[in-house]
Amino acid sequence: MSDGDFLRVTDVSKWYGDEQVLHDVSFEMDRGDVTVLIGPSGSGKSTMLRCVNRLAEAQEGSIRLDGEEVLSPDLDVNDLRREVGMVFQGFNLFAHLTAVGNVALGPRRVLGLSADEARERAEAQLERVGLADQLDSYPAELSGGQQQRVGIARALAMKPKLMLFDEPTSALDPELIGEVLEVMHGLVDEGMTMLVVTHEMSFAREVADEIVFLDEGHVIERGPPDQLFERPEKERTGRFLERIASHD
Amino acid sequence: MSVAGTLALAAVESLAVAGSGSVDLLSTGLTTTLVGEAADWEFVFRNADYLGVGALLTVVLTVASILLGFVVGFPAGAVEVYGDGLLKRTVSAVGIVLRGTPIVVILIVMYFVVGVPQINLGVATVSSAMTAGILGLGLRSAAYQSQIFRATLSSVDDGQLEAGRSIGLSRFEAVRYVVVPQALRRSIPGFQNEFTIVLKDTSIVFAIGLAELLTRGYDLFSEQTTAVLEVILFISAIYFVLTFTTNRALDRLGDHYAIPEGESA
Repeated sequence: MSDGDFLRVTDVSKWYGDEQVLHDVSFEMDRGDVTVLIGPSGSGKSTMLRCVNRLAEAQEGSIRLDGEEVLSPDLDVNDLRREVGMVFQGFNLFAHLTAVGNVALGPRRVLGLSADEARERAEAQLERVGLADQLDSYPAELSGGQQQRVGIARALAMKPKLMLFDEPTSALDPELIGEVLEVMHGLVDEGMTMLVVTHEMSFAREVADEIVFLDEGHVIERGPPDQLFERPEKERTGRFLERIASHD
Repeated sequence: MSVAGTLALAAVESLAVAGSGSVDLLSTGLTTTLVGEAADWEFVFRNADYLGVGALLTVVLTVASILLGFVVGFPAGAVEVYGDGLLKRTVSAVGIVLRGTPIVVILIVMYFVVGVPQINLGVATVSSAMTAGILGLGLRSAAYQSQIFRATLSSVDDGQLEAGRSIGLSRFEAVRYVVVPQALRRSIPGFQNEFTIVLKDTSIVFAIGLAELLTRGYDLFSEQTTAVLEVILFISAIYFVLTFTTNRALDRLGDHYAIPEGESA
């Protein structure tokens, strides 16, 4: 079990209006850990993920990243986000920019690199995700799998210390999921710290150090994949895993 | 087209009512009605430079008003999308008033009530009527352009802004580098309309005594009343050339910046 010296989420609660969507969620990660959040849709896992880079605001609790309180009102969210990469379910690539343009924007405008340096860095990151031959393609010219790999390269170009993946393969045709998971596997091998929301159970099982099962905003159960998948302690976890398995 | 067309039709109708004569007379009359008398065309060409000055004034008024409309209208549209509080309410209220007021009233208020001064640009002096004309047409165009940009800014998917924020861009930077370039591309068709409308509405500056193209045409056919059709056809052709070429130029701009395989601009 992690001792949480890198990311420590403690009793995080969030409401949308009167509806509470997160109830005292807690988990920890060490540097280099891969944690996978699973749960039925509407369970709050994406919301939890987005609280980590403050795209969603938690109203209660604490999120400490590398010793700093993420939820502090004094924190500069832009400083936080340049260190925390995010990959979206719908890719959200900048539609008017080429693959290189997408990846170079952050280094250029946020990190202040020169246009040449930013392009160089963007090319290197696109090569890393296997898109060296699509540098000047626009998002609409790429397949879903390629678009998502650009999305990953865009996040990596900021040299983040933590990567957030929000259902990165859910919008993809089945035959395109593999290429994205392959890139993510590569990142795991390089030791990237990753917090992943996904329905890809076999991926979760292979790479996760810890699985956190959320339902209706509560952490129902968490633990190493073997334990959670083979011997879930809670009935709700078992039922969810059975339901997912029957779809595979 | 519409002015000339209507006039021609009216002329044909009156001819038909009066037309008890032979078929020959009717057809000769029709030809004359549609293309005019040679002598009257000669009158038009003799005064072409007079109309040319009017056309120049029309172009200057249009360009200046469109530019002012963009410089004021774009931020106004952005405030309506991204602003809040008093600023947003003020901007929307001013826009509603400007869009709800006839352009003649706006021009008269600018010239006779506000009484804008003449402006010395060093190389030339802009008369107070001209200043009032540009301000009136420009601010009204700003009110309309703000709605073009409000619509296109809010049409860009929220995920684009969010992705921009996720790499550490501030809200302003994300709007500037991610949303605005896409919104501007989508604004071109609306902008083409606005350009055409402003161009044709410049004729209303006659209300504050500026002699642009249509006013000068009016002067001419008051002088030679048989040349109404010829003058109207001639200036309509000038308006058509102006609107057609600028619209084609904006089409080209749209094609140039179109996103490959993406939505057309």
